Amino acid sequence: MMHDLSKIEEIIDRSPKEPGALIAVLQDIQREFHYLPCEALTATSRALGVPLSKVFSVSTFYNAFSLTPRGEKIIRICQGTACHIKGAKLVQEQIESNLGIKAGETTKDMKYTIEVVNCVGACAMAPVIIVNNKYHGKVRCDQTRKLLGIK
Amino acid sequence: MVTITINGKAVQANEGEMLLAAIRRQGIDTPALCHHDAIEPCGSCRLCMVEITKKEWEGWTRSVTSCLYPVEPGLIVSTHTPQLLELRKTILELYLARSSQSEVIQKMAEDYGITHSSFPVIPDGDDCIMCYACTRICEELGCFAISAVDRGHDKKVSGPLRQPPPDCIGCLSCAHICPTGFIKWQDLDSTRTIWERQFELLSCRTCGKRTITRDFAEYLMKKRNLPAAYFELCDDCKRTETAKTMGKIVVAAQEVLK
Repeated sequence: MMHDLSKIEEIIDRSPKEPGALIAVLQDIQREFHYLPCEALTATSRALGVPLSKVFSVSTFYNAFSLTPRGEKIIRICQGTACHIKGAKLVQEQIESNLGIKAGETTKDMKYTIEVVNCVGACAMAPVIIVNNKYHGKVRCDQTRKLLGIK
Repeated sequence: MVTITINGKAVQANEGEMLLAAIRRQGIDTPALCHHDAIEPCGSCRLCMVEITKKEWEGWTRSVTSCLYPVEPGLIVSTHTPQLLELRKTILELYLARSSQSEVIQKMAEDYGITHSSFPVIPDGDDCIMCYACTRICEELGCFAISAVDRGHDKKVSGPLRQPPPDCIGCLSCAHICPTGFIKWQDLDSTRTIWERQFELLSCRTCGKRTITRDFAEYLMKKRNLPAAYFELCDDCKRTETAKTMGKIVVAAQEVLK
């Protein structure tokens, strides 16, 4: 996949050129592209003077980073204990069938990605789904289409 | 010098050194897998745990990894209490469950009277115990070719981008330091294969013996500012050459002294 490489350079340019800035730079790249493109990892490694092996180690360690392209809308489904009891599994199945993909996958048109998370700390609102950082509580299966913004 | 007590015996230890070194100097067998003198200790294998206390701790004890705990004056160390033996047995059983085929671990477990693990054996478990001795030595050498990738169950050592590591120089340090011999390599004619990469092996100008990889030689030339001629001979032939030169010097000196 081709990327606007100038965007990567722009992000790197505005950060301090030191190893300590690694995670911050990766976060900015992740925010821009919704994932970490291969070119971005090598460019970051070169600019900050961090070996590529280290950059890759960090980017595979944190769940917040993805190495595969993700959709514009990221749907996080909480499967923590409270949400689980409140039927999060059913909500997940409903969303999966709405979008025709499984958890962890991205739709072909690159619009949606489903992620399962273990607790988002909003147990009182269980079951919770988060669509692009907006929290939705007490979700029912018949609301999922509306929350995802699909007809 | 610092005075500590190990298993009831007062011993001298060097200031700043770790407990494991002081214990091993006494000839006390303390198992460890992740420890190697060439690299900084990291305490990941947990086998070198010992019990420490001090007079003023009023009976309180702590279990610590001896490879990471610096000696302190007045420290009282026990290396083989029943609790420690139990702890090591549990750890060895866990290792045995993960790396059931590893001879090193089998032998270590046997020494502790364990022949099988009470934990379910991981069917596709390998001999890698995630001690990162390989990545640590690679960092120490300044190559940073390999690193730990992913997390949790999927964690493994790999080259960046899950590809054969481009910065690897085929020095075999990782393979030699690996406590379980998990990292495999092969030397076939003039080709060395490691981490799914192939390296050209240099040969000795005199005897033809294969020496080190070209990448490794180039790395050393740059890092240590050595001439290319330094890598033309194998260690044995280098020694012979040196002996010959020394012999000539001695003969010449004798001539002068006559």
